[in-house]
Amino acid sequence: MLLLPKFDYYEPKELTEACRLLSETGSKAKIIAGGTDILVNMKKGLISPKVLVSLGRISRLSEVERMNKSITIGSHLIIAKLAEFDLIRKRFSILASAAKVLGSPLVRNRATIGGNIVTARPAADLPPVLMALGAKVKLKSRRSEREVALDDFFIGPGATVIKPDEILTRVIIPETPSYTGGHYIKLGHRKALEIAIVAVASKITLNKPDGVIKDAKIVLSAVAPKAVHAKSAEEVLIGEKPSAKLFEEAASLAMNDCKPITDIRGGVDYRQAMVEILTRRTLSFAWKEAKKGKKQ
Amino acid sequence: MKQIIILTVNNKVYEIAVAPNRTLTQVLREDLNLTGTKEGCGIGDCGACAVIMDGRPVNSCLVLAVQANGSDITTIEGIAEREKLHPVQQAFVEHGAIQCGFCTSGMIISAKSLLDKKPKPSELEIREAISGNLCRCTGYQKIVEAIMDASQKMKK
Ligand SMILES: Cc1cc2nc3c(=O)[nH]c(=O)nc-3n(C[C@H](O)[C@H](O)[C@H](O)COP(=O)(O)OP(=O)(O)OC[C@H]3O[C@@H](n4cnc5c(N)ncnc54)[C@H](O)[C@@H]3O)c2cc1C
Ligand code: FES
Ligand code: FES
Repeated sequence: MLLLPKFDYYEPKELTEACRLLSETGSKAKIIAGGTDILVNMKKGLISPKVLVSLGRISRLSEVERMNKSITIGSHLIIAKLAEFDLIRKRFSILASAAKVLGSPLVRNRATIGGNIVTARPAADLPPVLMALGAKVKLKSRRSEREVALDDFFIGPGATVIKPDEILTRVIIPETPSYTGGHYIKLGHRKALEIAIVAVASKITLNKPDGVIKDAKIVLSAVAPKAVHAKSAEEVLIGEKPSAKLFEEAASLAMNDCKPITDIRGGVDYRQAMVEILTRRTLSFAWKEAKKGKKQ
Repeated sequence: MKQIIILTVNNKVYEIAVAPNRTLTQVLREDLNLTGTKEGCGIGDCGACAVIMDGRPVNSCLVLAVQANGSDITTIEGIAEREKLHPVQQAFVEHGAIQCGFCTSGMIISAKSLLDKKPKPSELEIREAISGNLCRCTGYQKIVEAIMDASQKMKK
């Protein structure tokens, strides 16, 4: 049986109290949200924080709010609920689809959206779709509060711009215009409990149902130290009329927008080839959805 | 330092003093003697430790007992109605869905949670619902058949 090292445990009911605890205990303390990542690392002896501060009793952190031009999701919302909320399923369907393929149902009932972002695994499922959706995160410490675009949040595997005394409180996703569609594909050896070999999230917005592409986002995951935009592929799409040929061109550019490594899950060449295929596929699905006028 | 927590397990209320570094699996097995919940991997991969916590099946090896304070928990021991097996349990027996039995508690927890939410699931939905539960013996087919059969019988 894998045992956990000793630690002190606090579960404040208020966010301000959590911030105070973090600032007073300094680097000895760690946040615990769903625990599906941190408890595994502690059991394996990779880390042993002296203090754990749970966010589980701060009920506001599990709420989804609809604002004027955005929705904001509390960092402690569990992944299972992301796929259950009508608002998210209908208007941000790529987020719901990524949530459905994370881990297993048992993991999804504990794992949180905030935890998935802060762990910053190169193959994590939510960052690519949240980046495609243009999400920002709100970071709060005892003395300050700031918003950071997810595009600027990740530094590398396990590393982000979050400071040790900051708590990720909310994820803010802007409402998307009409004629927007999106799609997420995670390629793995099996359908559950799988870390992606390659994953691609695409989102496009048309100016009218049979019009040109106004905005395009393609985010590649598991092929670089962090999720990355396929920048040249995104650029080639803007202002063009969608077609199979255009998507092929974008897909082959996407191959060179990433720097995969060879590891146990796949080789460089295979991963690049899959980036091309998944980019093409996600774009055609996104196009189909965008034409319907549905909001993504 | 130990903390006092209150757990409702299988409709019985317990007040227990626990150290924060003990998992829900440990407290159920070692303090409450509910050894039907198994620990396989201890890191979320196998689902042998699954219990229903506030209506949702979770891996109890990745829940601190202190995090479960105030929760309502159902373990495999709370699935049957006294001597009468739950239809899912009965179907597992009849279909030969149990071999060594190590995965069974977790499988039944996941299956029951599914049927509570969705009494008539498709085969795909069943396979998805047990996708966090590993079985190294049966090859899953008999487990899936047992859950389908249970869902049929429960409808009547
Ligand atoms: C069996 C298994 C399968 C998995 N499969 C997948 C998968 O398919 N895809 C995937 O992406 N991930 C997967 N994971 C990883 C993990 O479940 C997810 O990353 C999950 O979303 C982490 O969330 P959590 O709430 O459990 O985080 P925790 O474990 O509670 O925390 C993780 C880290 O983030 C920090 N943290 C958490 N919340 C905050 C916050 N609000 N503010 C500041 N810091 C915070 C913690 O201090 C800790 O360092 C899997 C894990 C397991 C055990
Ligand atoms: S023992 Fe908990 S998932 Fe394996
Ligand atoms: S019956 Fe042996 S692991 Fe499932």
